[in-house]
Amino acid sequence: MTEVSLDELGPVDYVVVEFPAAASNFTGEMAAELRALVDAGTIRVIDVLILTKGADGSVEALELSDVDELGDLQAIEAELAELLAADDVEHLAAAMDPGSTAGVIVYENVWAAPFASAARRSGGQLIANGRIPIQAIIASIEADQATATVGD
Amino acid sequence: MPLRPARVGRVGVIGAPVAKTAVVAAAVTPGRGAPVAKTAVVAAAVTPGVGRRRI
Repeated sequence: MTEVSLDELGPVDYVVVEFPAAASNFTGEMAAELRALVDAGTIRVIDVLILTKGADGSVEALELSDVDELGDLQAIEAELAELLAADDVEHLAAAMDPGSTAGVIVYENVWAAPFASAARRSGGQLIANGRIPIQAIIASIEADQATATVGD
Repeated sequence: MPLRPARVGRVGVIGAPVAKTAVVAAAVTPGRGAPVAKTAVVAAAVTPGVGRRRI
């Protein structure tokens, strides 16, 4: 893994993408898109795990290097750090439904690193961040529309 | 398949059990309970110049 100065590190996020039982359709498209994000310098993948949750709630974790055909992920696998610990596997799997499989990706937002560094150098501190769910945007729009209708 | 030894016995980075978020696809995919028109409305709401500021 390439060493990155802490001062130049971009925000690190994770996603857990769940595939319900019998609903997955792996075509390699996801791997290709992930690779494209890495190649474009948008993100740097730090860790990847594939989790499977049994019907009884038991969890198994598969390292990316244990996957037979990595395809586009081959180059990414070579650069991974093992950031996630065993405790993290349990915590992340808590979100999964029994019988499902999930890909966990930990990544650095490389695109945000220069801005984050500049903010730090300027004395700024990140005091909040988050994601606005699409559902919340829809609810907000619908509430606006309802208010406008009442006002007509 | 067991985890690699390096992952065992370390302090984790995910502080607590993670709660499942609402499935985003259900909100933007045509079909049951999710009219396709909503995708256009959401797109408009996040497009510069079409914003709605309510203060």
